[in-house]
Amino acid sequence: MRRTVLSAMALACGAVLASTLPAFAAGASASPTRTPSASASAAPTATRAPTPAPTAEPTRSASAAPSAEPTVAPSQVAEVPSGAPDTGVQPTSKSSGDLTTGLVGGGAAALVVGGGAFVVVRRRRATGV
Amino acid sequence: MTSLSRRAFVTAATATLLAGCGGNGTTPAANSAPQQGSSTPSGKPSAQTGAKKVHALARSVPVTLRVPAIGVDTPVMKLGLASDGTVQVPPIAAHDRAGWYRHSPTPGQTGPSVILGHVTVGAYGDGVFRHLARLRKGDRIEAGLENGTTATFTVTAVRTVAKADFPSDEVYGNVDRPELRLITCGGTRTGTGYLDNVIVFAALTAGSP
Repeated sequence: MRRTVLSAMALACGAVLASTLPAFAAGASASPTRTPSASASAAPTATRAPTPAPTAEPTRSASAAPSAEPTVAPSQVAEVPSGAPDTGVQPTSKSSGDLTTGLVGGGAAALVVGGGAFVVVRRRRATGV
Repeated sequence: MTSLSRRAFVTAATATLLAGCGGNGTTPAANSAPQQGSSTPSGKPSAQTGAKKVHALARSVPVTLRVPAIGVDTPVMKLGLASDGTVQVPPIAAHDRAGWYRHSPTPGQTGPSVILGHVTVGAYGDGVFRHLARLRKGDRIEAGLENGTTATFTVTAVRTVAKADFPSDEVYGNVDRPELRLITCGGTRTGTGYLDNVIVFAALTAGSP
């Protein structure tokens, strides 16, 4: 008994599901289009009116877009500089100063060493060692 | 008792069916609406490589610049064009500072705002942008504006280019969002100066008063 009732219920549910799904699916898309057409003669005028409008709008926008683009062209940087910016003055004065002082110091040291050697050699020669 | 349970089962089954149908009816509408809405905005930013869209700020001259990643916190002066057509640079001084190229947009305006600084300042040693080349993608840059607003940028690229091939179009060319360029010298030193330029490209990510 229960089996028959349950199977009947399952069949009924399946039938309801099968019938409701297409009904909902069709209802969503068909209801807006059917109601205006069935409502009155105003519906066709309403449907006709939008059709010229979209066709006209794209042509306007398409024709306006190329004419607008060249007007956007002006540079966001009013005056573009030429060349690369020179943003690095080498620490040359310091390094060259160091270099010259190093050279002078080295030269002086060489002179002192050379002079000392010269004196030593002269003294040795003078003493006859 | 059994009839009651049958009725309950029937009611539950019907309710389930109705709920299922209703759910199917609503989900496409809910899905279609965001798709339509998101298709138009996502179409435009796609040209910006998916960067977050931030509203441009009102024009206001930059007065300070902070780059926490390299310890820069400096006042900003105005720079123009030199007589030879090149961009002016800040003066060689002990307290080096950055300079905003005044023919470029102010930071936060749509377009490439250009700020320059020295890498070294002769006898005075390091310049304000001494470590600019150390910046990496994602680092933060904050430009303090005269009207009290802070324009916050995020580094998108760091490039070292030969001065002979300075990319003027990429630096000064039009862009469709607020961007920032930090420029200094870099690369190999020669007797006449540096051979390269270091250019940091950044995009506006926030603007707060």
